[in-house]
Order: sequence, then structure tokens, then C-alpha cells
Amino acid sequence: MVPLTFFLKVTMRPTGIVALRALPQSKMRTALRYVPPTTLIGAIAYPLHHLSGNRAETVYDRKTFKSTADGVKNLFEWVTVKTIGKPRLYGALLKINTVYRGKAQSAVTSFPSAVMYGSGDFTITAVYLVNEEKLSKGPYTMKDLERAAWGITRLGSRESVVSVENVETGKAEISEASSAETSYAFPFKGFEVQGRGTLQSVVDWRSGIGDYSSAKRIVMFYPEGTVSVRGKLSVTTVGGETLVLAP
Amino acid sequence: MFLSVGVRFEANVEALNMVETAGNYSKHRRVPYLVEEDGKLKTVYVPALSGESLAHAYQEHLVREALGLGLSVCDDCRRNEFYKSMNKVHLKKKVNPIPDDPRDIEIAIVRSCVVEDVGGFLYAEKPPVRRSSAFQVSYALPVKSVALFATSEPQLHARHAQMDTSSKKGNASEQMIYYVETGTALYGFTFNLDLDAIGVSAITSEPILDENELKIRREAAMRALFRMLSSAQFGAKLSRFFPVGGITEVAVAVTEHPFVVTSPIYDDYIARTERRLKVLEGLGENYLFTVATGEKVPEEALKEAVDYLREQGAF
Ligand SMILES: [Zn+2]
Repeated sequence: MVPLTFFLKVTMRPTGIVALRALPQSKMRTALRYVPPTTLIGAIAYPLHHLSGNRAETVYDRKTFKSTADGVKNLFEWVTVKTIGKPRLYGALLKINTVYRGKAQSAVTSFPSAVMYGSGDFTITAVYLVNEEKLSKGPYTMKDLERAAWGITRLGSRESVVSVENVETGKAEISEASSAETSYAFPFKGFEVQGRGTLQSVVDWRSGIGDYSSAKRIVMFYPEGTVSVRGKLSVTTVGGETLVLAP
Repeated sequence: MFLSVGVRFEANVEALNMVETAGNYSKHRRVPYLVEEDGKLKTVYVPALSGESLAHAYQEHLVREALGLGLSVCDDCRRNEFYKSMNKVHLKKKVNPIPDDPRDIEIAIVRSCVVEDVGGFLYAEKPPVRRSSAFQVSYALPVKSVALFATSEPQLHARHAQMDTSSKKGNASEQMIYYVETGTALYGFTFNLDLDAIGVSAITSEPILDENELKIRREAAMRALFRMLSSAQFGAKLSRFFPVGGITEVAVAVTEHPFVVTSPIYDDYIARTERRLKVLEGLGENYLFTVATGEKVPEEALKEAVDYLREQGAF
């Protein structure tokens, strides 16, 4: 039997700036150029929780704190993203003057962001493969997931407002292959890749969201345009486009 | 209820968002605008305003509106110093001794300050307590189709010092020249407000305040936005560089759950937003969408949104 799974394909337009901190919730100077999977999960978790009136952001379990997005991650088999247009990391130098504890202080800093703004149209398309079994056991329906997808407001922190321009749903078939052409990010492990792209080390969302101090990381390949991948692949087709899944 | 507003405004010779100063030159914030030419990326720098700057302005208006409605605002926020209970020193002004339970910390902060309720905070001690902002703002960027016409130009200014010949020393000058880089563009930005987040715990999802106070706080949050847009009081250097121009268009969507209008940096943003809202209607959701272009003024569109929210029982 061929495994079939529900998918959500969400096309978004950025408002120009996407601020993705390499370490979430930190003002650290590094930023990511492409959207990591943890951000995709967090982005859909917020509108999904909104539907059920769940406002909780942080779960306190004795001494550990987790993001409530962690409770949503099991609804997904896999998440990935396609970026059209090449973002550029940019952060102006800022002189910050503060009055703190009676003293005036001055510091120079920079908060780089991925700039997705130019004559071409930048679009970000996220694909969520849904774990139907987990979904059926939880409080949400497929329709809730679809509404949540329309309700994604932000990718990352601060001024990273996006608008969802289209949501496609359907069933995807997962199969084995020895080669594939894809524009979507995939885990870079034991594959041979032909084409241009960027490698980015990201948190493996399957190991947990919210506490990243000791989180497992994976290296993802973010294609620029389309690339060909060879190896022992697990692939699926979503609305006419191929995704390479985790081995 | 969720509110999303797209704003287009024209600003000529503005210094709304200055960044670094190099000697006597103070620079406007700029962002790269990417142009593809023969397969190669070319970068043109255009003037911009950070979301952070707009958020600061919004919170200043929130302070005033909240105080006007008799709501509580903490001493730091009253001075427009938005430290947001970042550490023990600041939190102690609200609650002393500081409770151990993050729930009690959040309750104490939300009760004593509308700005931190609406604008969020991060108490970075043990245990850390964070509350996301109920409002979100994008950068204000030049509208894409005319971005290449946007300019950032230094303007020469001189400051004079009065001195008599006896006090004149070798290199002291009677004139001090300096440059202020000013921007001119048609800008667009997006502002979202999640009204359901106000006064509700980000840990337990339980309301922290009674229904009546929740309603007044939601109203204060709306009024602050209204005031910010209507008065054009956002950004820096308004005393001498008040931009010539004003708001040209607004598009306001009110939905039950999060939904973001297409950014007004795109020319098709109104038509696209309308089509996308139709899809929500298909999913069984009510909404209000109103735009002010041409005839209608921004205040009229915003008032429609306020009236709709009142009808829906938000306040
Ligand atoms: Zn405060």
C-alpha cells in the first residue's frame, strides 16, 4: 500500500524583511537567510492555537520551559520551504543611547535580517505534511489546519510580517526514488546535489521546540531555483512539485 | 478578533528613522532593494523605517490613551522608556517581593501596565517569563513600483556660535556645519493587532482582568492606532523634519482569527486582500474589510473598523 498523507501548501508574501535569529529569542547578531523548520511550525502554531482560544506560549514543566509550538509539532510528518528570490542579509549599524540605572550609555550594534525586497516578487512557500493519525487524536480538524494556514502572520521575530496569498490542500503520496528535481529545502545527508543553493544548520524540530540550548541540529540544503538530487531518496509530489523528505 | 491594517503614506524630506552618525553626518535607515539585471543582482539602497521605530511610536500613543481612559501604566512606560520589566530592578517597581511562580509574575505585570499587556515583555531572570506582543508591525518600505524613485539626500545645515574676536581661538569656528540625510518616498507598512491577546495570560490562557477592563484595554489599543495614524506622530525628528505629505491609503481587515492584509508595498494589495478574505468567508468566517483611497479619508475607514468591533462585542 502506498502511504498517503494530507498536505498544506502555503504561499506567502513577505512585507520586505524577515528576521530569523540563529538563536531564537536572542538579539544575537547572526541571522539566518532562509526560514528554518522550527519557524514554520511556530508560524502555524499561533493561528492554530487562536482557533481553540489557547493563548499559552510557554509551558513550564518544573525546571524546563518549552514553547507551546512543541505540542503542535507532532501533527506534522515533515515541513519544508521554497524561497523564490535570493534574500540578502543586511543590518545597518545602530547607535543606541540608553539611560540605565542613572547612567547614560552608548553602544553600537546591528540586528541583521534577511531582506526580501526588490523589483522581483519574493515568495515563500511552506509545505506541511500532516500526520493524520495524530491529527485525529487531537482537538483540531483538517479544516482548522487550513484556516490556521491562512492565519500565518509572521515568520520569525519582530518585523517579519507576511501575508498568506494561497493555501492548497490535498493528498500526497510518499515513495522511494533514486533521483529527483526539487526547489524545496531538504536535509543534506548522503545525497549528491547538482545546482546552486545554501547550506544552513538548523534545529531538528522533531527533537523539540522552545529549548534550543542542547537541541539536535541538522544541515538543510536550500536550493536557489531547482536542483537535482541523487541518492536513496524518499520523495513526494505536492501540487505538481517534488519534495525530498528526510531519509 | 484580529485587526490588520495596510498603510500607504507619502513622506517628503523626512528624517523619521535615523541610524548611525559618522562625524557630522547623520544617516537615514536604508535597506537594500534588489534588482536583477542580466541574471546578476544589483543593489539599490532605499530609505526605510524600522518596525521597531513604528512600534515605539504606537506604544507612546498607547500610554497616553491608556492614561486618558484611567488605566494603569507603570512608571517606566509612562516616561516612554519601554524596559518592559526586563529584570529584577524593573520588576520590583511593580511587585515586591518578586513571586517565584511565573504565573504570578505575569499577572503582576499585566495588571500594573497596559503597555506590557499589549506590547509584551521579556523578564530575563529565573524563571524567565515572556509574553509576545499583541501587535505586530512590519518595516515601512517604499512601495515597490516606485521604490527606485525614492531618495535619501543629505541636507546641509549650519549651527552658529556667537563669539567676539577676543575669545576666538585657533580652531574654534563660528559655524558648525552638519548634514541630515532625509528620505523621500511613498511608503507602505502593515500593522496587526490581536485583540484576543489583551489581558489574557500567555501561560494559562485565563483572563487576568475582568471583562469590563478587558474591553477598555482593547479600546485603548485601537485608539492608540487611530491616534498614531491620524496625527502622523511616528518616527523621529518631527520637530524640524516633519514630513511633507500624509497618509494616502489604508486598508483595514477585521477577522475572527489571525489574517494579514497583503502588504501595501505591492500595487495589487487591495484586490488581493479582498479575494483572500472571500476564501475565509467560504470557511465560514465573518469579516469586515474597508479601504480609504481617494474619496474616503483614513479616519473614516478606521472608524468603520472601530464600530464593527463594538458591534461584535470587542469593546
Ligand atoms: Zn510598563
